[in-house]
Amino acid sequence: MNRPCNSMGPRVMDDDMLKLAVGDQGPQEEAGQLAKQEGILFKDVLSLQLDFRNILRIDNLWQFENLRKLQLDNNIIEKIEGLENLAHLVWLDLSFNNIETIEGLDTLVNLEDLSLFNNRISKIDSLDALVKLQVLSLGNNRIDNMMNIIYLRRFKCLRTLSLSRNPISEAEDYKMFICAYLPDLVYLDYRRIDDHTKKLAEAKHQYSIDELKHRENLMQAQLEDEQARREELEKHKTAFVEHLNGSFLFDSMYAEDSEGNKLSYLPGVGELLETYKDKFVIICVNIFEYGLKQQEKRKTELDTFSECVHEAIQENQEQGKRKIAKFEEKHLSSLSAIREESELRNIEKMILECSADISELFDALMTLEMQLVEQLEETINMFERNIVDMVGLFIENVQSLMAQCRDLENHHHEKLLEISISTLEKIVEGDLGEDLPNDLRALFVDKDTIVNAVGASHDIHLLKIDNREDELVTRINSWCTRLIDKIHKDEIMRNRKRVKEINQYIDHMQSELDNLECGDILD
Amino acid sequence: MEVLREKVEEEEEAEREEAAERAEWARMEKMMRPVEVRKEENTLKQETLRDLEKKLSEIQITVSAELPAFTKDTIDISKLPVSYKTNTPKEEHLLQVADNFSCQYSHLCPDRVPLFLHPLNECEVPKFVSTTLRPTLMPYPELYNWDSCAQFVSDFLTMVPLPDPLKPTIKKEEKVLPKKYTIKPPRDLCSRFEQEQEVKKQQEIRAQEKKRLREEEERLMEAEKAKPDALHGLRVHSWVLVLSGKREVPENFFIDPFTGHSYSTQDEHFLGIESLWNHKNYWINMQDCWNCCKDLIFDLGDPVRWEYMLLGTDKSQLSLTEEDDSGINDEDDVENLGKEDEDKSFDMPHSWVEQIEISPEAFETRCPNGKKVIQYKRAKLEKWAPYLNSNGLVSRLTTYEDLQCTNILEIKEWYQNREDMLELKHINKTTDLKTDYFKPGHPQALRVHSYKSMQPEMDRVIEFYETARVDGLMKREETPRTMTEYYQGRPDFLSYRHASFGPRVKKLTLSSAESNPRPIVKITERFFRNPAKPAEEDVAERVFLVAEERIQLRYHCREDHITASKREFLRRTEVDSKGNKIIMTPDMCISFEVEPMEHTKKLLYQYEAMMHLKREEKLSRHQVWESELEVLEILKLREEEEAAHTLTISIYDTKRNEKSKEYREAMERMMHEEHLRQVETQLDYLAPFLAQLPPGEKLTRWQAVRLKDECLSDFKQRLINKANLIQARFEKETQELQKKQQWYQENQVTLTPEDEDLYLSYCSQAMFRIRILEQRLNRHKELAPLKYLALEEKLYKDPRLGELQKIFA
Repeated sequence: MNRPCNSMGPRVMDDDMLKLAVGDQGPQEEAGQLAKQEGILFKDVLSLQLDFRNILRIDNLWQFENLRKLQLDNNIIEKIEGLENLAHLVWLDLSFNNIETIEGLDTLVNLEDLSLFNNRISKIDSLDALVKLQVLSLGNNRIDNMMNIIYLRRFKCLRTLSLSRNPISEAEDYKMFICAYLPDLVYLDYRRIDDHTKKLAEAKHQYSIDELKHRENLMQAQLEDEQARREELEKHKTAFVEHLNGSFLFDSMYAEDSEGNKLSYLPGVGELLETYKDKFVIICVNIFEYGLKQQEKRKTELDTFSECVHEAIQENQEQGKRKIAKFEEKHLSSLSAIREESELRNIEKMILECSADISELFDALMTLEMQLVEQLEETINMFERNIVDMVGLFIENVQSLMAQCRDLENHHHEKLLEISISTLEKIVEGDLGEDLPNDLRALFVDKDTIVNAVGASHDIHLLKIDNREDELVTRINSWCTRLIDKIHKDEIMRNRKRVKEINQYIDHMQSELDNLECGDILD
Repeated sequence: MEVLREKVEEEEEAEREEAAERAEWARMEKMMRPVEVRKEENTLKQETLRDLEKKLSEIQITVSAELPAFTKDTIDISKLPVSYKTNTPKEEHLLQVADNFSCQYSHLCPDRVPLFLHPLNECEVPKFVSTTLRPTLMPYPELYNWDSCAQFVSDFLTMVPLPDPLKPTIKKEEKVLPKKYTIKPPRDLCSRFEQEQEVKKQQEIRAQEKKRLREEEERLMEAEKAKPDALHGLRVHSWVLVLSGKREVPENFFIDPFTGHSYSTQDEHFLGIESLWNHKNYWINMQDCWNCCKDLIFDLGDPVRWEYMLLGTDKSQLSLTEEDDSGINDEDDVENLGKEDEDKSFDMPHSWVEQIEISPEAFETRCPNGKKVIQYKRAKLEKWAPYLNSNGLVSRLTTYEDLQCTNILEIKEWYQNREDMLELKHINKTTDLKTDYFKPGHPQALRVHSYKSMQPEMDRVIEFYETARVDGLMKREETPRTMTEYYQGRPDFLSYRHASFGPRVKKLTLSSAESNPRPIVKITERFFRNPAKPAEEDVAERVFLVAEERIQLRYHCREDHITASKREFLRRTEVDSKGNKIIMTPDMCISFEVEPMEHTKKLLYQYEAMMHLKREEKLSRHQVWESELEVLEILKLREEEEAAHTLTISIYDTKRNEKSKEYREAMERMMHEEHLRQVETQLDYLAPFLAQLPPGEKLTRWQAVRLKDECLSDFKQRLINKANLIQARFEKETQELQKKQQWYQENQVTLTPEDEDLYLSYCSQAMFRIRILEQRLNRHKELAPLKYLALEEKLYKDPRLGELQKIFA
């Protein structure tokens, strides 16, 4: 880089440097005096300029939480780091440094303007988090692959791009290529792209762009599908019946059941399994649908409840506001009357009246609040009863459906056992030995073995069903408890906040009155 | 009571003529009560008949010998067609029939008033009443339905009392033949019960009101001396009866021609009917009118109730059944039989009246001379045709406090086509409050302006069309000490600004015309909630107490709170004990915060907020000042507009729009010139010469050459003649001038100054003429050879002289 060689060695970004910079760049004149008097907290600083300071390493910036604009140009920084806490950053200038790769910008989601001019970057990447990016300056770098442009297509807000004096800008097709692949771009290399150029570029690269677009659309569609599936699953999860709308549970029963799988090769078991599966799935689907319905019901119940509570609170607030407005009107006029009054006795009397007014307001507001608390408590209790009933009913019904599953399993087990024993008998008689696979054959050693195998399979199945049931019940119960807790907690919070608010207001009023009193007495 | 001086003819489309019997002309010779009473009850009872269609007619003023007001000079009889002055044999016959009928009638009913059958027309020729009606369809949609049509007729009519209120001495008629009716009864969706309750309530209120009013009225009436009409029941009137049936008219009703209102046949103002007629027949009412018209049955086909004059011309469809037992007629009299036989062969002759034509101007003018005054009880309504008044005034309603109409209560004036979009001016005389209403489009977007005086800084309210204004101002209220403005839809969410002013300070130094604005004591501004900001940073109200150097801020209330943050800045700049300027101290900003925040505690923050507010205060003051200026401007503009009261003229109004008129005339002129030019170019030079030759034959070469030579020599001769003519005139003028000059030189001494002036002006004119002649001559000399060559060329190319061409080719 052809930067004037600085005889000064690299400097560290320490507290002193930062303080100095903040002081220099902070408010000036009268405001500056105030600022000096009070001191400036780093987190209040919105803009910071640290150029020509021979900084080698970005450091110590974590306090500047609210920084909007940061200039670190003309230093000797080699690595982008230490910017993780600056989430509000909008403007970042890192030009004229020695950066080789783009990195460390993943938390800067609000960044709109990024300058990396005159560095040693050879590849554009790691910018994915910068969804609001509008201006990107990458001139005078070492970008040599045209494909980097395609990476920039993801920035929907990008309007200004500078890539001059890179190896790629030497390419004959450079301008056309960028115009074609970044159609929303307005300025390229400090010049406005005219419509004519745009059209030409589009025509020139139409074929490849169409292909690219097609691919992007496919990707997009895929993503959307994925998203939709995820949402669907999420919805089922909130109904606590995910994966019950198919044979998932049934399949999982057999997934870890090696004996069962082996036994399914027995003659007659195939059909048996088939009917068993059909019946089982039907019950699962029943549970699933019932679950969704119940979920809907619970949601409606909750919505109605929140709406009513909200309305009640609003109404109450309105009343409170009206009371306060009325009070303030009166209070203001009596305050000014007190100011104008000269007779000390009268003043005292009026002040007394005023404080009486204030305490009256306090009483009124508190009464309102207590009233609301009582009303809400009643409503919340009613809601709690209802929702608990609902959950209980749901659990009960699901359990009875699950019991049906178990019955099916028991039935199946008996059938299987029957078949197994008859098969064993046949094998003992030597009728059909050859048809069976070897590992299955190994089970038919004696009666105990086969009964154990069938029993093991049965146990696994029952376990799975029980587990699923337990999971459902636990989750819905905990959901219910959490919901109720939250409602109670919210109400308590609300109440505390309101009481605090009222007290604060009353205190303020009272202190205002007291101040007036003091002032008057002083006068 | 009154008789109509005009004859209104109501006409209908020919196709609808057979429907004519539906509308009848009722004439009543007993009469209505005094007009004033009637006016009070002007309610339209039959709103459902809204769509009754009607043809209206032009109004011709009939000259009646008895009424000197309308003497012959109002109408030029000589220009009227023959049918006005003579009767056709058929009409004579009809008159005889009528006479005969009348004789029989008076014989049978000696007690009743003689029939009104054939009054004299404007030419003093007796005409049968039915023939004065001529159904005509007019091209104005407004005349298609009965209500607007009746309104039009009533606008045109002016009431003039008869010399003898009991006798329509001369036969004067007014006819309206409404015929077709369409009816669209509005669907009634109101609850009957509610209506009843409402009515009950209203009735109660009204009863009380009435009682009160009546007492007062009685008192007033007493004073007024409302003498009972001695002629009650004897007055004569004519009005229109519309029969149900056609055009979906559900029931019969009356239309009074003076008011254009409809009345139910049950209305008690109509005391009775003597006879009815339309353009086809004439009926006498044979029913008893003891109970006004309430018991009358309007079945014209029933010969017991309605005695007809002509048989068979139109049996009312109502009567088909009764038609069959028409024997009833015969019971009466044998005489009737003969008459009827005679009548049977007789048709009503065609109307002698000219077809009515209403020009668009006349239609627009409506009333005679475009002006009409209607006197109501305690009110006067004046109407004018559009553009009649130069200030666009079209109607004025004046209401009075007393019956004598001397103390004006309020005046309402309606305007049309004003360039300043003024629509209505309302002047309340008791409070002296004037209110102007504007239609959208005023240059200052005014909507309403109410004021007591046009002086600035007085009580006034100005409302605006806020969407037409950049600043979204809706309303500005002013009192001598305050100005309040209401805004909507502004990007800074300002909704309200109130400024109070202190007394003006006398400035001793400023002697210039520089304005001396009143000092602003206080500015209050309120803002709507800005959803982009958190509530505790969104100012709801800020008050600049300019005089106290104090700024109060009130913030919006957060969604879940009942109190709002407040902040008060004291902008006093003070100096501390060491003489340093105090920039900011904690007691300069008193704040109450609902949710205390850390950064607002900082002096720096407060200082910056205060600086910002200071700037805002300056801006607000400037805004107030600008608003004051704007008021001045509006007042000035209004005064100018009132003085100029320019009217707008639609570009489609070809008569009034000067520009379009000019343009049209220019176009016409151009067309004309173009036409002339074309004619000229088509002038056939050869025609006179060709005419000498036998037609149809092809020219020989010799003939062609001769023709050409003749034509050319003729043209040459003409050019020479023209030159000579110009030359001769030129010489004549020159000689005359010389003579005059000679004369002048000889008599110069004795000439009076007037003669000298005369001479000088003559000289200059003569010189001008000479110069022009000279120019023309020169030009002619220049152009003549060219014209000659052009003609030669033209002839050469003329296809008829093709022979010539061949040779030369």
